[in-house]
Amino acid sequence: MNNLIANTFALVWQEAAVGRWQTIKQGVVEPDLSKFLVIAALLFIIGVAGVLTRRNIIVIFMSIELILNAANLNFIAFTRYLQDTGNLNAVAGQVFTVFIIVVAAAEAAIGLGLVIALYRNKETIFVDKIDLLKW
Amino acid sequence: MTLSGWEAAFFWVFAIAALVAALLTILAHNAVHSALFLISTLVSVAALFVLLGAEFIAGVQILVYVGGVMVLFLFVIMLVNVGAEERGGETLFNRPAQVATSAVFLVLLSLGFIYAIRQGYEGLLIRDNLITPEQRAEVANRRRAQQQNLRPAATGTSRLSEDTQLVGASLYRFAALPFEIASVLLLVAIIGSVMLARTARQEAATGDLELKDEG
Repeated sequence: MNNLIANTFALVWQEAAVGRWQTIKQGVVEPDLSKFLVIAALLFIIGVAGVLTRRNIIVIFMSIELILNAANLNFIAFTRYLQDTGNLNAVAGQVFTVFIIVVAAAEAAIGLGLVIALYRNKETIFVDKIDLLKW
Repeated sequence: MTLSGWEAAFFWVFAIAALVAALLTILAHNAVHSALFLISTLVSVAALFVLLGAEFIAGVQILVYVGGVMVLFLFVIMLVNVGAEERGGETLFNRPAQVATSAVFLVLLSLGFIYAIRQGYEGLLIRDNLITPEQRAEVANRRRAQQQNLRPAATGTSRLSEDTQLVGASLYRFAALPFEIASVLLLVAIIGSVMLARTARQEAATGDLELKDEG
């Protein structure tokens, strides 16, 4: 736990300190793997925020698509990293991504079918009104 | 792995576009606007895929997500009534207590991400530093040689990537069983969504439901 706090503090503080200006500039001019990981993490967090806070079930499905896309971005970034550090023909991440896209498409089709069935029965698409199982 | 020059500029443009559009996706009042912002996020992420050298995945992303899944989303949005939310008659988010709880959860999640990315990336840097400069130069030479062997594109300035071929080959050679399972999954999804989206009249027509007499 101490380590976690120290690391977080170090990340926020050291990167902002004047001595680290060169590092930041280097990171902006030549983005590397970590920048892709940060972008993917932010997309994931935005997706989770959408799933947790929105009431509209269709927007919740869209947020799930965002989460899956963040995972795809990580896979592709790591594939490129592996290619640049010796494994020239590494495409495993791209193959994984194809499967993730397939699962996402299937999930969207089933989920939207459920939304339509639900709308026929309950006349609402707000998740807090869908409380048939609530005792 | 670093991008440089124009690649770096395009990286920041598309990364920021993806993040802003993702934020607007979960903040928009109108579900159709949400869908359009999600499309721009997906296109920006596809551009990031191109920057990472995964042209095939970028194409699949555009075709399947933007061309297929998002059209499905838009159809469903127009089938169900979203007028109430659009007119501002309905609140956008859950109750404040739930939103506060999820905010706490999200802060914890982002702290975990910061910790994990920092730790993992430092580990990768240590691993990279174990590679001697000679090995690094050898990898770069092999990469350059591989690039030289590729056929030039129609413009003559760039070369056609063989990544698509590699992806296809490994999809059938090493991932044949998951590939078949994925096809079964898609079949189940097709049949399942058709079954779920039937109206009561259609269910009665196939004998799955007894339609009560009206009057």
